[in-house]
Amino acid sequence: MYSAAVLDRVRNPRRVGEWPAGQTDVGTGEAGTLDDGTTVRIQVRVSAGRIVEARFKVFGCSASIASAALVAEWLEGATLDEGRRLTPGRVVDALSLPAERAHVARVAVDAARKALDDVTEKAERRP
Amino acid sequence: MVYLDHHATTPVDPRVVEAMLPYFTVAFGNATSRTHRFGWEAREAVERARRQVALLIGAGAREVVFTSGATEANHLAIAGAAAAAPTDRRHVVTVATEHRAVLEPCRQLGASGWTVTELPVDPTGLVDLDAVARAITPGTALVSVMLANNEIGVLQAVAEIAPLAHARGALLHTDAVQALGRVPVDVAALGVDLASFSAHKLYGPKGVGALYVKRGVEKRLAAPVRGGGQERGLRGGTLNVPGIVGFGAACDVAGREMPDEARRVGALRDRLWQLLQERAGGVSMNGASAPRLPGNLNVRVAGIDGESLHVGLTEIAVSSGAACTSAEPSHVLMALGLDKTAALASLRFGLGRGTTAADIDRAASHVADVVAHVRRSSPVARLAAAGAGR
Ligand SMILES: Cc1ncc(COP(=O)(O)O)c(C=O)c1O
Repeated sequence: MYSAAVLDRVRNPRRVGEWPAGQTDVGTGEAGTLDDGTTVRIQVRVSAGRIVEARFKVFGCSASIASAALVAEWLEGATLDEGRRLTPGRVVDALSLPAERAHVARVAVDAARKALDDVTEKAERRP
Repeated sequence: MVYLDHHATTPVDPRVVEAMLPYFTVAFGNATSRTHRFGWEAREAVERARRQVALLIGAGAREVVFTSGATEANHLAIAGAAAAAPTDRRHVVTVATEHRAVLEPCRQLGASGWTVTELPVDPTGLVDLDAVARAITPGTALVSVMLANNEIGVLQAVAEIAPLAHARGALLHTDAVQALGRVPVDVAALGVDLASFSAHKLYGPKGVGALYVKRGVEKRLAAPVRGGGQERGLRGGTLNVPGIVGFGAACDVAGREMPDEARRVGALRDRLWQLLQERAGGVSMNGASAPRLPGNLNVRVAGIDGESLHVGLTEIAVSSGAACTSAEPSHVLMALGLDKTAALASLRFGLGRGTTAADIDRAASHVADVVAHVRRSSPVARLAAAGAGR
């Protein structure tokens, strides 16, 4: 039912983890609720305008795990602007997600955007 | 891959295959051909199988009607009894945790104007006998309560329901598919009028089953499948001779091996439950621990999404808490009062004749690994674990 791209990310997840959200170079974004069945947290560590590392945690179906893993993969090495240009459609295509699971790609991308907003705000607050 | 899904189906026992083979090729006759040896041979084989099935269920051979499986046997029992019921009896009583092969024909009656009572079960999966007694009225034509549940393995007190049904003049049917070959089934001791069985659940072939029709009860059935008058007019159609021979042989093997096998499988199941608690943690049993089929274990795993759990389980074949046809949670687990997340995060283990201690060890470790790994990637594992004991 799922593509190899999904199954590989579910069975061998990379970039699972979390950092303390307070660190100034770390942005944290969460999206989705347990009631909807999917919640994703994405964190990015930024240096000189570039995302040097990304981490994720997911509660949800395998499509949501794979989406968050793929988003974290893509974020690493990207600039903040490149990260913001990520769309759910690209995730759906890359993972060949079935239509009834497509909404979880949006949750993962929303979490990523919030993480980028968070780290940008922190940078602006810094003197 | 360790096969732990023996409630879905079982492999055909090699001794059963051996018994069936001649009836595909050399002894290929039609059991209703009366004029030559080919027909006689087939007829003899069918009657031998009928006696073998009857022996295992404690019936007389003439009380066994062969069908294409339990779905058809249930249909013959339910639709057949309904079609022959007097016009002042248009009510059927069943239980929310029945297999869909019982619920659907009952609901079909509901759609044609019958009253259908689907009794709830308690959190252990058992139906309350007082509730059964209250549900049965003088207008009840049929009561259908399964013997062993196909998901949670619990055994209903069918023998105690029989007098309740009979006191009101209703027929009692039991879907005994999952019980046969796993625990003793004695239709006379149960006091049922009708009982359904399926060969592929006890190491026989798929596509063959039987309905036990207590002597005299055939007059209270109007067969839905009519044709050449086979099976005393209760089920038309050329008999599936090799399949029926296989069913008989499977009953014969089960009758001889069941006591030892039930003990062996029961001990393995207990070991699996212990290992899952030790290695995976945060697991609870769905359904009563007893009375339950020896090979059944149904557990829910806290703090985890069921679908990703199942996608992660690559080394064992088990069944999920989802209905087989969709991602909706199983109606049986929902009837126990589980919420949707807990029902979907459930695993049904069905141990069987081929299951070894090494299989159990491997299965428990694999489940524990996958559970740990999915929980590790979850932001809410602790939170969900706290609330998922429901
Ligand atoms: C309890 C129960 N009833 C009925 C059936 C249907 O049996 P069959 O596959 O022979 O139609 C099954 C098997 O799936 C079952 O477990």
